[in-house]
Amino acid sequence: MDTITTTKLSSEEIFNLMKKFITEVIGEEFVEEMDITPESSFTKDLEMDSIEIVSFSEKIKAHFGDQIDFTGWLSSMDLDQLINLNLGMIISYIEECQS
Amino acid sequence: MPVLRINNKSVHIQELNQNAPETVVLVHGMFSNLSVYYFNIAPILATHFHVVLYDLKSHGMSEKTLSGYDLESMTNDLKCLIDALDLKQVYLGGYSFGGLIALKMAIRFPNLVKKLAVIEAPDPSDEKARGIIEEYSREFLEHYVENFTDTTKVKMGKRQMEKNHRMYEYLFHQTSIKEDMILEKDFFEDGAINQLDQDVLLLYGLTSNCLDAGKNLNQKIKNSSIQIVDGDHNIPIQEPQLIGEALLNFFQQK
Repeated sequence: MDTITTTKLSSEEIFNLMKKFITEVIGEEFVEEMDITPESSFTKDLEMDSIEIVSFSEKIKAHFGDQIDFTGWLSSMDLDQLINLNLGMIISYIEECQS
Repeated sequence: MPVLRINNKSVHIQELNQNAPETVVLVHGMFSNLSVYYFNIAPILATHFHVVLYDLKSHGMSEKTLSGYDLESMTNDLKCLIDALDLKQVYLGGYSFGGLIALKMAIRFPNLVKKLAVIEAPDPSDEKARGIIEEYSREFLEHYVENFTDTTKVKMGKRQMEKNHRMYEYLFHQTSIKEDMILEKDFFEDGAINQLDQDVLLLYGLTSNCLDAGKNLNQKIKNSSIQIVDGDHNIPIQEPQLIGEALLNFFQQK
């Protein structure tokens, strides 16, 4: 069980945390073959489908609690924005919520 | 991941706005999962309602099960889930095969279902709808993905293709889903649907293969209304905002 984090994370720490969540969701064997960078897009590069993004959202919720409304943020996007969503955008969003 | 034990199997659920006094339960379709509602439709409903989503057996992140895909078994599962959450009465919505489950639920447990919304439920006697199961092959999946790509703009990569292929292979070749579906072919004709008393909203796509099924249901159910939306069978993905708002208005009307 994750404990809710209230300390402010640097962008590198957020990136590493997101990588950890992605690995937990899609499995280490797939992540090993990938070069995950802030430019990696969720649907095209990481090939995450929507149920995997549900899992990923849940991990963010468990980690950050009410501090970050990740699902709310995603639901404000249209399909094109969701398709183009990359890790860097999520890092910026989490940084904004922390400031 | 929130999981309930339902009929001895793990069922993945998601809840939004848990403190709201009234609950909407949404059922997804075959070969899909709760994410069809999670990002757009459920948050709209959650502005007023407690929303419960769950993955059907062998779908999404729920446990795999070899048998029990007939509407009786699927509604037994849903009844157990509603009981496990200690809900006395719910607004119920279902999409595609989930629409059939929702209809069956309202027939079997009329006091439990306050209002019913059916999105794109197919007529199970339609050979074409059931034919998909008969004709499944790797080529079918690739063809399906090509079409799917047109409406969602997402090209499925190798890992997703394999993942979906494994799910189709499992459901088509190892479970009783084919036989169970054939048993339901007279569902629209067995008279029980005509006895439904609740208010029913039917949502169908203008160019959907299932539109006739929607019109047929509208004739059979006395307190029904049909809303035809631009799009095909995939209207929850094509028009999530519109579907979410239509459901919200319908469930909120006194």
